[in-house]
Amino acid sequence: MAPVLPLVLPLQPRIRLAQGLWLLSWLLVLAGGLILLCSWHLLVQLRHLGTFLAPSCQFPALPQAALVAGAVALGTGLVGVGASRASLNAALYPPWRGVLGPMLVAGTAGGGGLLVIALGLALALPGSLDEALEEGLGTALAHYKDTEVPGHCQAKRLVDELQLRYHCCGRHGYKDWFGVQWVSSRYLDPSDQDVVDRIQSNVEGLYLTDGVPFSCCNPHSPRPCLQNRLSDSYAHPLFDPRQPNQNLWAQGCHEVLLEHLQDLAGTLGSMLAVTFLLQALVLLGLRYLQTALEGLGGVIDGEGETQGYLFAGGLKDMLKTAWLQGGIACRPAPEEAPPGEAPPKEDLSEA
Amino acid sequence: MALLKVKFDQKKRVKLAQGLWLMNWFSVLAGIIIFSLGLFLKIELRKRSDVMNNSESHFVPNSLIGMGVLSCVFNSLAGKICYDALDPAKYARWKPWLKPYLAICVLFNIVLFLVALCCFLLRGSLENTLGQGLKNGMKYYRDTDTPGRCFMKKTIDMLQIEFKCCGNNGFRDWFEIQWISNRYLDFSSKEVKDRIKSNVDGRYLVDGVPFSCCNPSSPRPCIQYQITNNSAHYSYDHQTEELNLWVRGCRAALLSYYSSLMNSMGVVTLLIWLFEVTITIGLRYLQTSLDRVPNPEEPESESEGWLLEKSVPETWKAFLESVKKLGKGNQVEAEGADAGQAPEAG
Repeated sequence: MAPVLPLVLPLQPRIRLAQGLWLLSWLLVLAGGLILLCSWHLLVQLRHLGTFLAPSCQFPALPQAALVAGAVALGTGLVGVGASRASLNAALYPPWRGVLGPMLVAGTAGGGGLLVIALGLALALPGSLDEALEEGLGTALAHYKDTEVPGHCQAKRLVDELQLRYHCCGRHGYKDWFGVQWVSSRYLDPSDQDVVDRIQSNVEGLYLTDGVPFSCCNPHSPRPCLQNRLSDSYAHPLFDPRQPNQNLWAQGCHEVLLEHLQDLAGTLGSMLAVTFLLQALVLLGLRYLQTALEGLGGVIDGEGETQGYLFAGGLKDMLKTAWLQGGIACRPAPEEAPPGEAPPKEDLSEA
Repeated sequence: MALLKVKFDQKKRVKLAQGLWLMNWFSVLAGIIIFSLGLFLKIELRKRSDVMNNSESHFVPNSLIGMGVLSCVFNSLAGKICYDALDPAKYARWKPWLKPYLAICVLFNIVLFLVALCCFLLRGSLENTLGQGLKNGMKYYRDTDTPGRCFMKKTIDMLQIEFKCCGNNGFRDWFEIQWISNRYLDFSSKEVKDRIKSNVDGRYLVDGVPFSCCNPSSPRPCIQYQITNNSAHYSYDHQTEELNLWVRGCRAALLSYYSSLMNSMGVVTLLIWLFEVTITIGLRYLQTSLDRVPNPEEPESESEGWLLEKSVPETWKAFLESVKKLGKGNQVEAEGADAGQAPEAG
């Protein structure tokens, strides 16, 4: 049974491997910490922007998965730091011997799996943002006037603050406001002829105007903000609708939010990829170090050459051994326990 | 009688030196913190210098920056001294410098305390510059064509949106200045002509405010024009309407922002000052205990450390004597004999 990918490791290369592993583990800790920070930032952003995403949107799953994956990567990094430190010190190594094996399995399966899932989400989810934003923003704009309806009374404030902070107006442009009644009926004068005409001329009885809320105003404009009668070119003298309109924000909130969230998801995705690479390297290095030291019987300073490897035998042999181990453990024959452990030990010490 | 005498054996001395070494490196970190606090405050003041008349005093951030740098320098030096204190040979090199160094440390601590106090006390001058600067800013709001002032409209609008304020003391300040440029007034309209004629200086004053005064929390769309005219808007009473516009004036808003900033910086600086005082006291104990080791060949022996060799009034008297001696230094040798005996007491 030949070991898989063996590597001869005399004392000096072993020491260098341990030192390099120590450095890589600290980098992994850093990367895990950065992922934690980035996903926490994205979660905070989503809490503020939650009203503008449709409730059925799965996007919040991405930062949640990344948070867990980042925590596991951080843990793996710390384990790597401790183990590589211990492998250079004969007094510190013995407690690590028993723990390292299961930790490597947990790190590969758990950590690797989580990172792969998070990466997959980072690639797949941003695509669903478009529809979610379309629906969410449409609902928010429609409820702008409902400042007294329970459940939607915050919509006006949130939309105004969104437009002020992100420098956008409407969904795709300021004309979206012309198709929505954004003035609450409570503040419409029923005795005003203009109001009555407008409502009667509309099929659904909505009061539509060619005006926009104040939050669409652009402070960079040289003239005081023009909010009303925007389609009437004679209403505001000296206002030429054909000139570049600095009066209101030109971008729509849909584009702005989409770009913003996709950028954040992209950053998170690339950090997850880098962490995945780092974690794979750290786990590989730990495995080689562990098997090399096992070959010496746990004696760190042994001058002899040993071989480090990934797996003791081929995949088939490994599965057979695992099957045998599992089978023996299930059989109710307590005196057979020591021989059950002997075959795997023989595999490990075969060098 | 020595002040606050403490006995030190070898182990205690070593622990003191090691503890001080660690504390000094933390103190270097604290110095970096003070430096960055000063830098942050300077940047914040610079950001809003347009509404501060460009005459605001940068004394507080500059002194914080200076104290931060000095703290880093002194504390890394002290760390080196504490590290060498464990080795008698290296310590002998530092011995002659320690007393003046400690005097400088005490001076540094006093100045740090004064700077911390300044953080709390200097908001009064800021209030005046803010009031002046905002008044001018609002005056130039309409001059978007005048080079040198064309950015004022954008600055004031962004300020009012960010700090949730309106005008200097309140929104009525906007009623007293012409904030709409003549360039955008339709002089063929009767209403415009009437307003300008009825004003003594020929200004176009309205009871309206810019859009940046609007409060997003208001349940109704923002009422910016004809604010004091109840009949111009349906179901509106300007006396009871509180949510329509921001109520706070920008002077109060900015002042409270900078005050809270400087107060928290003052608190942090005071805490760091306490830390520095502890380090200075520890260094003094280390110095006196190491100086009083009876036999340098036997570092294991016990020695005593203290803060002051004599009690406070006696030390003060000796200090005054040495100052007087400096004054008499030019006199004849007869006095020199007296001066020779005075240092032995000090």
